[in-house]
Amino acid sequence: MNRGYMGKILMVDLSKGEFLEEKVPDEVYEKYLSGLGLAAYILYQRIPANADPLGPDNILAFVSGLLTGTGSLFSGRWMVAGKSPLTGTWGDANCGGSFSPAIKRCGYDGIFFRGISEKPVYLYVSNRKIELKDASSLWGKDAIETEELLQEEYGPNARIAVIGPAGEKLSLISGICNDKGRIAARSGLGSVMGSKRLKAVVLDGKKRIGIHDRIEVHKLSKMCNRWVQFQPPLGPSIVPALLGTLLRILPTAMAQDGLIYKMILRQWGTGGLNQMSPEWGDSPIKNWKGSSKDWPLKKSKSADPDLIKKTEFVKYHCYSCPLGCGGKCSMTGKYTETHKPEYESVLALGGLCMNEDTDSLFYLNEILNRAGMDTISAGATVAFAMECYEKGILTREHTGGIDLTWGNTSGVIELVEKMIRREGIGDILADGSKLAAERIGKGAHEFTVHAGGQEPAMHDGRQDPGFALHYSVEPTPGRHTIGSQLYYEMFQLWKRVKGIPKKWPFEIYPKNRKYKASKDQALETAACSKYMNVINGSGLCMFGCFLGITRTPTFDWLNAVTGWNKTPEEYMEIGERIQTIKQAFNIRQGVDPRKNKLSPRGLGTPPQAEGANKNRTVPIDKMMADYWELFGWDPATGRPRDETLARLGIH
Amino acid sequence: MPYTITEKCNGCGACARICPADAISGEKKAVHKVDGELCIECGACGRTCPREAVLDHKGRHCTMLKRSQWSKPSFDRKTCMSCNICIDACPVSCIGLAEPVDRKGAHGYPYVRDEKACIGCGFCALSCPVDSITMVFPLPKEAKVSQGEGKSAAG
Repeated sequence: MNRGYMGKILMVDLSKGEFLEEKVPDEVYEKYLSGLGLAAYILYQRIPANADPLGPDNILAFVSGLLTGTGSLFSGRWMVAGKSPLTGTWGDANCGGSFSPAIKRCGYDGIFFRGISEKPVYLYVSNRKIELKDASSLWGKDAIETEELLQEEYGPNARIAVIGPAGEKLSLISGICNDKGRIAARSGLGSVMGSKRLKAVVLDGKKRIGIHDRIEVHKLSKMCNRWVQFQPPLGPSIVPALLGTLLRILPTAMAQDGLIYKMILRQWGTGGLNQMSPEWGDSPIKNWKGSSKDWPLKKSKSADPDLIKKTEFVKYHCYSCPLGCGGKCSMTGKYTETHKPEYESVLALGGLCMNEDTDSLFYLNEILNRAGMDTISAGATVAFAMECYEKGILTREHTGGIDLTWGNTSGVIELVEKMIRREGIGDILADGSKLAAERIGKGAHEFTVHAGGQEPAMHDGRQDPGFALHYSVEPTPGRHTIGSQLYYEMFQLWKRVKGIPKKWPFEIYPKNRKYKASKDQALETAACSKYMNVINGSGLCMFGCFLGITRTPTFDWLNAVTGWNKTPEEYMEIGERIQTIKQAFNIRQGVDPRKNKLSPRGLGTPPQAEGANKNRTVPIDKMMADYWELFGWDPATGRPRDETLARLGIH
Repeated sequence: MPYTITEKCNGCGACARICPADAISGEKKAVHKVDGELCIECGACGRTCPREAVLDHKGRHCTMLKRSQWSKPSFDRKTCMSCNICIDACPVSCIGLAEPVDRKGAHGYPYVRDEKACIGCGFCALSCPVDSITMVFPLPKEAKVSQGEGKSAAG
């Protein structure tokens, strides 16, 4: 069977200490691909209604992608899925590094955990052995220490995913780490792993991954790589920063080509946007209350991409990535190196809290990676606390003497350290801003910005309403890695898929068009959702896919690897099926999709008085209804209609 | 089709010791067996068997070769894209990532970290999407001097 997938999953029952290897029929892969599609199919069937996310019924899935390990590029992403304790909805998180192929090398497309272990354990899988081993001595150690200890025991080829102290302490904003600083952070799935008392997963298999047509796959990879290697010099980092200013001033918007974003990633990594994004209103500032005026170039200079690049001593490539947007940076102080702080971390812990100290960003990045806590949610929660402090809802007495004035660096650091340890005020904040607001009371919820409990990423829906819509409407609320108007422009799907609007690169159009709910808008959003499900089923990296469908040939790779000969439309239907099963999962869990709408402040209700996003409101209700209608879900409630479920074969 | 071991096997265990996939088992001095589920067709057993008792995946007899004569990967840094695919493909984990030479690009490149561990399977070369890896057989002794010079010139 040479179709790219392994055809088997491993089900681990932690309560009983039992392992069950299950064969997955070929039809499942044809209907759901592998990766998150496979996870959605299995979890939809096996997690009972109204399951406790931190209880034994929840299932935690570690899945690899269909294209992983096949010679296709950008296919090094692995995904973790389960019911999210943070939002109560379908939860998933995505991470790079070298863990993804290791799952397949053990002979599985996914490893699933159910039940709760009595004492801390870790799973070890090699070619002949599957064992649950005692992890009592590892419990309490941080993510990087744990990984180093396990690496010492199992050698450099062992691939390891772990939780840090945040996950052990059931912080609902904790994630799962691998490769010493990569983290599958969102949806709070680290706490699910912690609740199961599973400290780590160690994979050391050597199995073969069969491919239908290796020569064709390599041919496509060569073509893709030529685009990646095309890299004219971009000049100093002030160039993108000023481009951001220009985009803010112009009354028109321009459709983007992902090749430009690729060049920024290649040169600086995601941090290339550190100064550009706040300029054109893509980054929320001061807990979403501020604007580009509060965070001018003079202040955002603290996260100057060139400044960060100076500390980078080696680029970091995830598995099968020709681009290498990551990096390892040297730093001074307690720790000597850290993975290059990503754009999201820098803005969440910087601009969102008005923190202007560069060194603190490196330090916070490293301690959050070690603790296994989501930098986006941590930053957003600190910003929320700072606003409560400003309004007098939180005082020095509450904070244990920490001064939470906007931009007070030592305050941010102390608070984050307390959140990691769950001490005092940190205990109240360690589960994200929504729960914190409930615990604090006194109208604090007014200052939270979340979608269904998940803090959205540092991309402002008031600048690109596509983000606001995806935050609100997805089965996994509050996520920036699914779609937006910008992503739609870069994916260039219309070149291969029929029936969706064309947006040619560098096409200039009036900005106002972006802020109207229209049929085209809904079609674009739906296409992003569907395509992203195909990407997550394949284990591809979203950044790679930004090059456009003709340059990163997802559908062609899939056909060459599996020998299926499906059309792009058929793949998009698979994406639609995965999206609908995730929504059906939510409905079964008693989620009301209408309640996942982004908080009013993030939607421009009331609109901002100044800055890049002045006077802008997102017509979210109309947009949500249009989107649901397009998927064949009830536009009033977001529930998939019976005939839609029947058409897609979901039972 | 996996590799198989014929009745010629004298049970010396050399193949089981070298098999990176832990696919060969058998009692000492008895005919060994390859687990078809686990065999990755790397051919190390065939190259190492002194009795030439191993048949490859197409049923052909494998010939024994002195380990010093096994082929080794050679990496072309000009076309390499630092994607790490070869590192994962290596069944004996003998490929590592070298620190970047040139600060400007700062990409790390693969190299054979552990020459002794390499089993010459060629999986790295097979899996490289941009054909940056060639499997090179060691040159006979008299030619070794010039090979060394060539290497240092290439940097």
